[in-house]
Amino acid sequence: MGLILIDADGRVALWNQWIAKRSGISTETALNQSLDALFSSGLSASFKTALGNSLSYKLPIVLSNALHHAPLPLYPLPLTPEPRTRLHQSITLTPLMGHNEAHFCLIQVTDTSMFIKREKVLKLQSDQFSLDATTDSLTGAYNRRSFDERLQAEFRHAQRVKSPLSLLMLDIDYFKNYNDTYGHPAGDQVLISVVNTIKSQLHRPSDIVTRYGGEEFAVILPDCGIEGSLSVAKTLLQAINTLNIPHSQSEIADHVTISIGASTLDAAAKTNTDQLLKSADAALYQAKNAGRNRAQHLLIQTCVI
Amino acid sequence: MDGLTEVFNIGTCRAASSLSEIVGDEVKLTVPRLQLVNSADLTLDTLSLGSARLGSVKQQFSGPFDAQAMLLFTEERALEIVHDMMGSQVSIEDIAEFEQEAMCELGNIVLNACLSAMADIFGVELDSTLPQYTVDTSEAILQQILSDTDQPVLMVLHMNLSIEKRHTQGYLAFLLSTSSLQKLLAHIDRFISGI
Repeated sequence: MGLILIDADGRVALWNQWIAKRSGISTETALNQSLDALFSSGLSASFKTALGNSLSYKLPIVLSNALHHAPLPLYPLPLTPEPRTRLHQSITLTPLMGHNEAHFCLIQVTDTSMFIKREKVLKLQSDQFSLDATTDSLTGAYNRRSFDERLQAEFRHAQRVKSPLSLLMLDIDYFKNYNDTYGHPAGDQVLISVVNTIKSQLHRPSDIVTRYGGEEFAVILPDCGIEGSLSVAKTLLQAINTLNIPHSQSEIADHVTISIGASTLDAAAKTNTDQLLKSADAALYQAKNAGRNRAQHLLIQTCVI
Repeated sequence: MDGLTEVFNIGTCRAASSLSEIVGDEVKLTVPRLQLVNSADLTLDTLSLGSARLGSVKQQFSGPFDAQAMLLFTEERALEIVHDMMGSQVSIEDIAEFEQEAMCELGNIVLNACLSAMADIFGVELDSTLPQYTVDTSEAILQQILSDTDQPVLMVLHMNLSIEKRHTQGYLAFLLSTSSLQKLLAHIDRFISGI
């Protein structure tokens, strides 16, 4: 720990090795000098105020790393030539009484670099954990769990601001046949391509793409009515067709296609997320029965809850 | 009481100017209300702190009169304030590790400023311990205050803190318990009659 003792006139009375090494200023040079003269490269204004207060009021003061970072020009070891980055510090100023009632201020400096490094590592790990917990590792789309949370949240928001909310359920046509013919690694590639394509067609940051099940995806479209949801559905159908991924075992085309079921929550309707989900599912079923590679929209039956 | 409010107004002005210097933005700290409370009647309501978790910074002052000064704030608010004081892009969750120290400093600045204003005005000198920071459930903190103080009467200052540009508002409760309330009042009387 770094220790500096300052007398009532603001002069250095003690300068320990820790400070000498990290400041590049020897104890001999430092003794009887003022901090201002020693640290010509700059003491922060808040440090000067704190030191002044500590000397005049004789009250202890803490200077946190969070708010001050590096008030003193001290550097990590070994000292390198300029420009160099200051050491992260936490500082405590304690008033002390010497002989003959002489007042001193003891400056204790702690190197907090290690804490900060540790904090950064923990932060990175926790970011990774929360990413793992909310996304599907294969496609990078949100997972089923976050879908449930997001749909609830968007539903409540829609009800509060009385805006429409649409939901698309998408399914890759004859995906089982694809896997059987081309193998699972190729199937995984199709899932990734489909998600990337859907994402590339959605331009609003509020639109949410999730992997609902194996080859089934759900897209939450906040503030989007019937017309809007159908237009998005058509764009997605078109984009997947344009990908033109060969699929010899599809019964309706020579490439990978999708079917979409859409449902919209009317701002005025009294309903819940279950209804929205069921309607979108029923619409998807209708789209499949009607020959696939198409979108179907179903209005929610208004129910009293 | 008016005399005391005046003393604390001077203290909070000083604290605000120290805080402004750190934040680089205007910080306002006001004392809208000062209250004397029987410690038996002390509840979260009297402190206007309705939160599950509270942070507290405590310093023990000694001199012509002894005082235990404590600053209380709700944990969430405190984090927001510190976050704004740090002025960076880090989110509230990111700074948990630094929060403790920064809140300790914030409390230290306010407590020192108020007590040094008292010392100046009454022409006395006060010593103090280093600030001690605690975060706990509000019940535990309240319990701690009550067990720490053997005084029948506590002084409660309600303070509002705002950071101009960032529209941050915070509320702080300042608690002063002194075994020498009579001595403190005598100092105030002397101060008032000296004006």
